[in-house]
Amino acid sequence: MDDHLIGIVSNIGVISFVALSAYLLLLTGEISFGQQAFFAIGAYTSGIVTAMWQLPFALGLGAGAATGAAAALLVGLPTLRLHGLQFAIATLAFAEAVRILFELFRYQIVRDGELVGPNGIEGFRNIRYIFENDVSATEFMLIIYGLLGATLFGLFLLERSRLGTAFRMIGEDDLLAATQGVAVVPVKLTAACLAGTIAGLGGGLYAHLTTYVEPAIFDVMLGVHSLAYGLIGGLGTAFGPLLGVVIDIGLLESTRWFAGYRMIVFGGLVAVLLIVRPRGLLDEQLVHRIRRAVRRRPRPSPANDTVLGKELS
Amino acid sequence: MIPFIQTTLDGLMVGSSYGLLALGFALIFGVMRRLNLSYGPSIMIGAYLGTLLYIKFGPPTYVVAIVAVAGSVMAGIYVERLCFAPLGVGAGVASMVSSFAIWMQLEQASLLMLPRHSYPFPSLTGGELWSLGPFVVRPDYLIMLAAMLAMSAALTLLLYRTRFGLGLRAIVENSLAASLSGIDVERTMLKAFALASAIGGVAGFLVLSANQQVTAMLGMWATLKGLIAMMIGGLGSIPGAIVGGLALGVIEAHSQNLFGPQVRDLAAYAVLFVLLVLRPGGILGTTAVRRGMGQRGGDRWTTT
Repeated sequence: MDDHLIGIVSNIGVISFVALSAYLLLLTGEISFGQQAFFAIGAYTSGIVTAMWQLPFALGLGAGAATGAAAALLVGLPTLRLHGLQFAIATLAFAEAVRILFELFRYQIVRDGELVGPNGIEGFRNIRYIFENDVSATEFMLIIYGLLGATLFGLFLLERSRLGTAFRMIGEDDLLAATQGVAVVPVKLTAACLAGTIAGLGGGLYAHLTTYVEPAIFDVMLGVHSLAYGLIGGLGTAFGPLLGVVIDIGLLESTRWFAGYRMIVFGGLVAVLLIVRPRGLLDEQLVHRIRRAVRRRPRPSPANDTVLGKELS
Repeated sequence: MIPFIQTTLDGLMVGSSYGLLALGFALIFGVMRRLNLSYGPSIMIGAYLGTLLYIKFGPPTYVVAIVAVAGSVMAGIYVERLCFAPLGVGAGVASMVSSFAIWMQLEQASLLMLPRHSYPFPSLTGGELWSLGPFVVRPDYLIMLAAMLAMSAALTLLLYRTRFGLGLRAIVENSLAASLSGIDVERTMLKAFALASAIGGVAGFLVLSANQQVTAMLGMWATLKGLIAMMIGGLGSIPGAIVGGLALGVIEAHSQNLFGPQVRDLAAYAVLFVLLVLRPGGILGTTAVRRGMGQRGGDRWTTT
């Protein structure tokens, strides 16, 4: 693979983490415009750990994920009682406030005769761990996809667990879920923390992939995009957001097919797609059908159908 | 004391532009219970059409104003037809994401029309300053303040004194019952959407003529400021939009005066966050909004 392609594929992998983070909250029925804040916090934290304190990369990523989770917990506590638009705007306000705080954040030390560290609006340059330790671009891509695969596997297990079922129950109807004995606020808080962890981990990878982060990257646009990826790709499975990222970054941004008209084509396509499939390409029904086909279970016999009328397929 | 009052006055003046933007937002959200992220970019389309005309032919200012408003109404109708009308009840998130996709589309279309970062825009007053005793005000902003008050009064009359307003309020209450009572829900919503876009177009024109320039940031700016002002004031309420806009203006003016421009935005977001946590309905909202807006009678705008 050439460098350009490796760059694009790595980028898709890293952005998938934010998309998955937004997807996880969408499962519980909450729209967050603020997942980019945890991405930013993860990126800065892991950058500080490896480039300034010169600790190992794994520790940097771990610190990024942990701060992402901690920040999500802190924001989740007051905001998760909110609903719908109010929650969405509260997360937006938080994320924009975080972005501006990073614009004001200066913390630099001298290393090898150079100043290293976040420098306000100028950003945080020289997060050069992977160059200093001779990790090639291909190897780093494999690290990204290894972690992404692990995250997906975790989400796959989660969706089969009681907790995952509770997420979707709350997403369908939180009042009904509560009457079924689901502790709504703690479960939502768990979802928010997991989402923060995933975004923080992705942020750490992003910082090391680009070696440079600045506050302007983490604006509302990134947040709304990551939300849109889930809806374009589909809310039925964790592969949905991935598909959304591949469609946007892989197909449109990287190939310069439409040059100046990219957004006109993409915007129109998404709008039409959402009319046809309001829950995205891989929506719950399609995923359900695929699962049944894969399991090769015999179709229910007509006698079973009569109980509740025709079974929906 | 005089500098403090002057800053507050400046804040109120700028706040009137936020109030105008929030008015259109509140109308759409109040009726549809959906978030239209394309609100700002629709205004941008109108403003860019007006600017294009102004640069090419230099027509009188009122023609530019008419084109700007007509352009944003057209863009607004396009958004409604594509993102809101075809998506049925309960597809609130899809509508929002769809309106975001159209945001990207409208913004790119505007930039294809006029690719530079900023262009001149005709001014209504020539940008002079008036002094009232020890205070200085800009007539541009006085026009904006007057427009905001006049428009909210007209909107209140429309909502509470006409058949159209009655139909609209019936839809807000319960759209199914409204359609059973013989109200053409789809047409009424389209009209409300066009009206909101027209208010946005007027707001856009007045803001740009006060700044005497139009920049590529207009779409994002209008959506964000309108949304924040609406949330501060109270969801979907007309007095709320005005109070929210003015409050946002005053908060921004004072924090900029005390700590500089970066802290200005930080303060606005911090106030918004704290207000939402403590009083989710906004300054003039009721606490009844707390448990999922619209669980009584309306459609939940989140989920499924």
